[in-house]
Amino acid sequence: MSGPLSQTDRRGIDPALGALIGEAAGMRLADRPADGVRTTTPRALPVLSEPDPTYYDLPPIKPPVWVWAVPAYFFVGGVAGAASVLSGACQLLAPRRAEGLVRRARQLALAGDVAGSALLVYDLGRPSRFLHMLRVLRPTSPMSVGSWLLAGSGAANTAAVLLGGRPGLAGRLGGAAGLLAAGLGGPLAGYTGVLLAHTVVPLWSAGHRALPPLFVASAAGSAGWALALLAPPGPGRQIARRLAVGGTAAELVLGRAWERTVGRVPRVARPLRAGRAARLWRGSQVLAAGALLGAGLAVLAARRAASRSGRGGSRGSGAVVQGVASALGLLGSLALRWAVFQGGRDSAQDARATFHLQRARSGGAA
Amino acid sequence: MSQKGFFTDTTVCIGCKACEVACKQWNQLPADGYELSALSYDNTRQLGASTWRHVSFMERAAPGGGGAADGLAWLMSSDVCKHCARAGCLEACPTGAIIRTEHDSVYVQPDVCNGCGYCVVSCPFGVIDRREDDGRAWKCTLCYDRLQDGLEPACAKACPTDSIQFGPLDLLRWRARERLAEVQAGGQPQAHLYGADPDRQPGTGGLNAFFLLADRPELYNLPPDPQAPSVHAGASWGSMALAAIGLAGAALGLAAWEAGA
Amino acid sequence: MIQGSNFAECHPVGFRWVMEAKRRGATVIHVDPRFTRTSAMADLHVPIRAGTDIAFLGGLIRFVIEEGRWFREYVTHYTNAGALLREDLRDPEDLDGLFSGWDPQQGRYELETWQYQGVDEVVPAAGHKELFASGGAGHQDRARGRTISFEHQDPTLQHPRCVFQVLRRHFQRYTPEMVEATCGVPRATFLRVAEAITRNSGRERTTAFAYSVGWTQHSVGVQYIRTAAILQLLLGNIGRPGGGILALRGHASIQGSTDIPTLYNLLPGYIPMPHDQNAASLDDYLHSNEAATAWWSELPKYVVSLLTAWFGPQARREAEFGFGLLPRLTGNHSHLVTVADMADGKLEGYFVMGENPAVGSANAGLQRRALGRLRWLVVRDLVLTETAEFWRQGPEHERGETSPESIDTEVFFFPAAAHTEKDGSFTNTQRLLQWHHKAVEPPGAARSELHFMFHLGRRLKQRYAGSSAARDRAIQALTWDYPTQGPHQDPDAEAVLAEINGYRVADGSPVSGFTELAADGSTACGCWIYAGCRAEGKNQTARRRPAAEQRWVAPEWGWAWPANRRILYNRASADPQGRPWSERKRLVWWDSEQGRWVGHDVPDFLADRAPDYEPPEGAEGLAAISGRAPFIMQADGKGWLYAPSGLLDGPLPTHYEPQESIVPNPLYAQQCNPVRLEWRRPDNPYARACADPRFPLVATTFRLTEHHTAGGMSRWLPWLTELQPAAFCEVSPELAAERGLSHGGWATVSSARGAIELRVLVTRRLRPLSLAGRRVHQIALPWHWGTAGLTRGGSVNDLLPFVADPNVNIPESKLFAAEIQPGRRGTRGPVPDGTGHMDGQGRDLPGAGPPLAQPDQRTSKT
Repeated sequence: MSGPLSQTDRRGIDPALGALIGEAAGMRLADRPADGVRTTTPRALPVLSEPDPTYYDLPPIKPPVWVWAVPAYFFVGGVAGAASVLSGACQLLAPRRAEGLVRRARQLALAGDVAGSALLVYDLGRPSRFLHMLRVLRPTSPMSVGSWLLAGSGAANTAAVLLGGRPGLAGRLGGAAGLLAAGLGGPLAGYTGVLLAHTVVPLWSAGHRALPPLFVASAAGSAGWALALLAPPGPGRQIARRLAVGGTAAELVLGRAWERTVGRVPRVARPLRAGRAARLWRGSQVLAAGALLGAGLAVLAARRAASRSGRGGSRGSGAVVQGVASALGLLGSLALRWAVFQGGRDSAQDARATFHLQRARSGGAA
Repeated sequence: MSQKGFFTDTTVCIGCKACEVACKQWNQLPADGYELSALSYDNTRQLGASTWRHVSFMERAAPGGGGAADGLAWLMSSDVCKHCARAGCLEACPTGAIIRTEHDSVYVQPDVCNGCGYCVVSCPFGVIDRREDDGRAWKCTLCYDRLQDGLEPACAKACPTDSIQFGPLDLLRWRARERLAEVQAGGQPQAHLYGADPDRQPGTGGLNAFFLLADRPELYNLPPDPQAPSVHAGASWGSMALAAIGLAGAALGLAAWEAGA
Repeated sequence: MIQGSNFAECHPVGFRWVMEAKRRGATVIHVDPRFTRTSAMADLHVPIRAGTDIAFLGGLIRFVIEEGRWFREYVTHYTNAGALLREDLRDPEDLDGLFSGWDPQQGRYELETWQYQGVDEVVPAAGHKELFASGGAGHQDRARGRTISFEHQDPTLQHPRCVFQVLRRHFQRYTPEMVEATCGVPRATFLRVAEAITRNSGRERTTAFAYSVGWTQHSVGVQYIRTAAILQLLLGNIGRPGGGILALRGHASIQGSTDIPTLYNLLPGYIPMPHDQNAASLDDYLHSNEAATAWWSELPKYVVSLLTAWFGPQARREAEFGFGLLPRLTGNHSHLVTVADMADGKLEGYFVMGENPAVGSANAGLQRRALGRLRWLVVRDLVLTETAEFWRQGPEHERGETSPESIDTEVFFFPAAAHTEKDGSFTNTQRLLQWHHKAVEPPGAARSELHFMFHLGRRLKQRYAGSSAARDRAIQALTWDYPTQGPHQDPDAEAVLAEINGYRVADGSPVSGFTELAADGSTACGCWIYAGCRAEGKNQTARRRPAAEQRWVAPEWGWAWPANRRILYNRASADPQGRPWSERKRLVWWDSEQGRWVGHDVPDFLADRAPDYEPPEGAEGLAAISGRAPFIMQADGKGWLYAPSGLLDGPLPTHYEPQESIVPNPLYAQQCNPVRLEWRRPDNPYARACADPRFPLVATTFRLTEHHTAGGMSRWLPWLTELQPAAFCEVSPELAAERGLSHGGWATVSSARGAIELRVLVTRRLRPLSLAGRRVHQIALPWHWGTAGLTRGGSVNDLLPFVADPNVNIPESKLFAAEIQPGRRGTRGPVPDGTGHMDGQGRDLPGAGPPLAQPDQRTSKT
C-alpha cells in the first residue's frame, strides 16, 4: 500500500484514493525513478559575523532558464533587423545602384526572421503554445514587444521578398513592406538589448542604458559582414562593407563603454574578467578587431590591385581577405552575444553580484 | 475586493516547515528530491517551480551580542512569493498568463503560460521558476482556490506561531508596525520591516507579502534593494531608440553616399 | 524554563503558547546540551553536559535556600518542609552517595529509615504504593497511614531533622562552582538563570518548567523531575497560573495512553495493577493501595466501579466484583525486561501496535534479534516499518549475519487506519481530551485500533465460550458489547467513551463526575479520572468554543481531567486564608459568603471546605483534608519536598552520573544510581564506568521537527522526507577539526553496542564544554532513520544500551559514550571488549549496585 505509491508519485498521493485537484495537480512530472539520497558538495561553514554575508552563496535570483537558442536568436535577429534597415535605406536612396543589395538584404532579413522565430519556439517550455506570444501586447514586456516586432518584421520581409521588384501594385506593396520592415528593423536589432537590460540579472541590468546600443552596433556590423559576402559585387557590396566596418567599430567602442558601466560595481563585471564569459568577451573583441584589420587589408589589397590593374591574382587575394574579415566579424558579433549571455548567467549565480549592485545603488540602505 | 497578503514575522519563526508541507499538500506539489544540503537545516534551499514556501536557516552571531548566552543566533524565515505591487514577472509576461487577481495577488494561469522563461529573470526575488519536465512557470498562487472559498492560505493556516499572518494589507501593515516597535523595544534595534512600505521599496512598489527581519536581508537571501526590471524602461528603450535612429541614419547615409558617388 | 526538552522542534504546535508568552514579556530560558530551534527562540541558552540536570537543578535549590529566595508562607503551609524525619535517616552526604537502608543482598533500599518521624508508613499519591504491601507490623487497620498526623512538625523549619533542614544539607555542596565542574555551565551563566527564575517567582509572578524525554530517559529520570518539583514548591510555583512543571508528551495521546494505560503496572486512572503478593483478595489489594487519609481513601469506589464496568453482571459484591479475574503481576514486565526475555527465547508471540522498536527502542539490534526468536509477531501500522520487515531488512542482514531463512518468526501485518479515518479522542500534554471525527473511511483493509481490539476480543470470547478452564473465565466474563456501525462493523467510539465516563448501573444514566461513584457496584466507570467527560450524555471532549467567546481559562474547549480542571492543585493559588496571593495571579479563592471555593478554574479542592477547617484527631478519608492542604492526593495534603515513600532510589534527588559517563561523579564516590536496572549480557555490553578510552565522547540523541519518532509517519512521505532526507550527526567545529570530519561528509559513530554510518553536520550550535579545565565534546544524533522508507540511514538506537531507571523502567536513551571517526567504516554489532565491562564495575560502592545479571519478570519484586 505505501511503498510502491511513494516510489512513483512524488506527491505521495494515490490517485485511487485522493483526487488530484490542487493548483499544481496538472504539473507534468518526468517519469524518473525514485530519488535516493543525493549529496551536494559540502561547503565550509559561513563565518558567523561575515560583514558581506550571503545565504550560503546561493543566488537570491534565478539564473535564466534559456538555452543556446536564445543568444543565437539575438545574433540572427540582429542580422535580420539591421539588414532590413540597410535594405530599406538603399531602397529609398539608392534603388538602382544597390538593387542587388536590397534584394539580398531582404532575403537575409527574412531568413533571420524565420530562423529567429524557430530558435525562440525551440526555447519555449511549451513550444506548441508559441502563438500565445501574440495573445496580448504588453508594452512593459520587451519580449512581448519583441515578439510583435519579429512577427511584423517577418510578415513585412516576406511580403517584400515575394512582391518586391514586381511590376505594378504588387511591387509597390512589396516596396512599402520593405520600408515597413526597415522601420521595424532598428528596434528588432536593439530590443534584445532592452530585453536583457529588463531583467534582474546583475550584468544585464547594470548596463541597461549601454547594452541596447551595443546590440544595435553589433547587429549592424554582423548584417554588414554578412551582406559583404552575399551582396552581388558592386556598389551594394561596398555599402555593406562600410556598414560592417562602421558597425563593428561602434561595437568595439560601445563594448568598452558597456564594460566600463557594468564595471562600476566590480563584482557585477566579474564574469567579464575570468572564466568562459570573459574568454568569449575578449574573443569577441579580438575577432572584431581582426575583422576591421582584415577589412583594412582588403581595402589596401584592392587599392594595390587597382593601381596594378592588369595583373589578376591580387584581386582574388583581396576577396579571400574580405571573406576572412567577414567571417571574423560575424563570429565576433556572435561571440559578443554569447559573452553577454554567459556572463549574465554567471552573474545571476553570484549572490554578491546582486547584493553589491543593489547596495551600491541604494547607498547601503536596506 | 480588498488587497490581501502575508506578513511574515521572522522573529517568531521556529523553523518547523509546516508551511512548506501544508503548501505542498494543499497544492499537490511534488517533492523535489531527497538531497542533504548540509546548509544548516535547510534542505529545500530555495523557492522554485514546485516549492512555493521555503524556510531559511542561518547560524549567525547574535547582533549586538544579545540573545543567547553564547552569542549565537539561528535566523529562520519562511520565504514566499511577494506578490509585488509592481510585479516584475507580470510586467515581463508576454502571453498575459500572469495576471493580477481581485485579491491583488499575482497569479500564473497554467493554461496560458508557454514557458518563455522571461518571468524567471524578471523576478527580483528568484521566486518564479520554470519546471523543466512541465515546461511552464509556477509559483505561489496565494492559495487562490482557498481564497475563493473564504479560507486563508494553507501556509498561514498551518503556521503554529503566527509567524505567517494572512489578511487585509492595511491591517497587516498596522500590525507589522506595532510588532516592530515591540521587537525593537525588546532589545533588537536592528530589526526592520522589509517591503511593508512602498515608499521605502519603490522598486517593487511595496510587497503584498512583507517581512519583519531581525538582521540584514542578505542573511535571508533577500535582495537589499529589489527593483522590478521595468524601472529602467525609459532609459533602455530610449537609448535603444537613439541607437536605432543612429543605425537608420548610418544606413541612409551610406546609401546616399553610394548613390551620390 | 525549558530543560530536557526541545520544545519548539518536538512540540511545535504547543510552542505557539511559549511564543505568545514571550510576546507578552515572558523570559524564556533553554537549558540543553545543544543549541536547538528552541534555543534560537530563547532569551538565554545554557549549554549543559547531558545527564547532569540534577546537579544543575540542585544548584538552583541550594541557591534558593541559601539566598533566602524561597516563598516562606507557601513553603511553610503547603509543603512538608516542617515534617520531622527519623533519627536513623542517613543522607548521601553521610554515606558517600547512598541513603540509609541499602540492602546489599537484594540490591535495593529498605525504606523504613526514610519515613516521617512517628508515622509508620505513608501511601504516596503516585509511584510505588506497593512498597509496604508485603505485610509486616502495623497493619491491623484496613487502610494504612492512619498514624499520619501533624504532631511531629516544626513550623519554624529550624529543627535539624525537619525536611527543610535535611533538604538544605543534602544540597549544600551543589554550589555554583560544583555546577560548573559537573555540568560545564559557567558560574556567571548559572547565576543569571538563578536570578531570573527567583526574581520571577513569588506572590506576583510565577515561573513554569517544561520538560520531556530529555529528563525522563535517564537511569535517574524520575528524580530529575522530583528535583524540579522541589524547586517549584520552594518558589511557590505549583498550583498557580503560569507555574507548574509541564511534561510535554511526544506523541498524540501519549498522555491518554498513560491515563488509560498501556503500562504493565497500572489500571486506568493510575490505579495500581494487582500484584500476586498483595492481591489475594479485593480487601487485601485495597489495603495495600488505598490511603487512610485524603483523596486516595476513595480508591475502593474507583476500583469497584472499574470492575463493574468490565465485568458487569458478574460484578457482585460476593464475587468481589470480578476482582479475581484480573491478571496479577509477578514481577517486572516492562518493555526492556520483556524484550530481553524474548531474546532468550522465553516469549512466543508479540503485538506491536503503533510502535517501531526495530528503530525506536534502545539497543535496536537486540530488539531485532529478540523479534527473531518469536514464533509469531503482529504488527499494526500505517506502513511496513522496520519492525514488520525485520525478517528481511536490517543491518544484520546487510552484514550477512542473518538471512530471512534463518528467522522463523511468522509476521502478520495489519494496515492501520490514520487518525482522519477513525473517531476517537486525543489526550494531550495538559490532560485535555479532544475528540476527532472520522473524515473518510480507511482505505482497503486498514482498520482502527478500536476495530482491531474489539473484533479480536469478540473472536476470543467466541473461542473460549465453551471453556471450563479457570484462566479463560476473565474472557468469558468481560462485557464486550459495544454497538457497531458501518460496513466494517466499527465499534462506536462514543459508546466506549460513555463507559469510560461512567454510568449508574440501574438506569445507565451517565455520572457527571467521580464524586458520584460508589463502591457497592451501583456505578460503573472505565476510568475514574475521566468521569464527567461525557456528563449529561454529551460528548464534552468535542467542545470547540472559540477562545474569544469564553473566559480565559477556556473551560469549553475540549475537556480536561479531572473534573475539567485546567490547573491541578489550584487551591495553592490562594493563600492559607483562601485569598489570592495577588490580584495578578488570581485563579480560585474562598468566597466566605457563599461558603464555597470559586474562581476562574474549577477549584481542585473540596468545594465547601473552609480554609480554617482543621481535621479532628483521628479523622479519616476526606474529612482528614485540612482547609489549608492543597495537595489533596497526598495523604498529608502537602507538596512533598521530601518523598518518604513511592520512590525506589531515594527520598531526595541525588546527582548520579549516567551509566556511560566520561567523568567520575564529582559529588560522591557512588558513581551511578545504585538501584538502576542493568542487563549484563553479551549482546548488551557497556562502556567502562567513566572515561572509557574507546568512547571518549558524550553522545546525546534527539528528534527533528521534520520526522516523527521512529519514522513510520514521516519517512514514507515524500513531502516530509525531502525536508530531512538523511541520517546525520551534529558535531562542533572543534571536534570536527580534532577528528578530521568534513562537513557534509561521512562518519562512523560507534559505541559498545555497535557502529553506524552517518553524514556529518558541523555546527557551532554544538560547542565543547569545559569541566574543571577539561574539554568535553558532545555529539548529537537524531534517531529517526532505519532500513525502510524513502530514504535510509543508520539507526542511532543500535548504539544505545539496555539500562533503565528503577522507578519506571525507562531506558537511558538520552546519552551514551561514543566515538566518531571520519569516513564510512562499516556497521557492526556489539563487541564486548573482554575486560569485564559487561558488569557495573566502577559504578558502585562495594556492596551497592544491581545484584542480578538482569531484572527478571518472575522473581524481581518491584
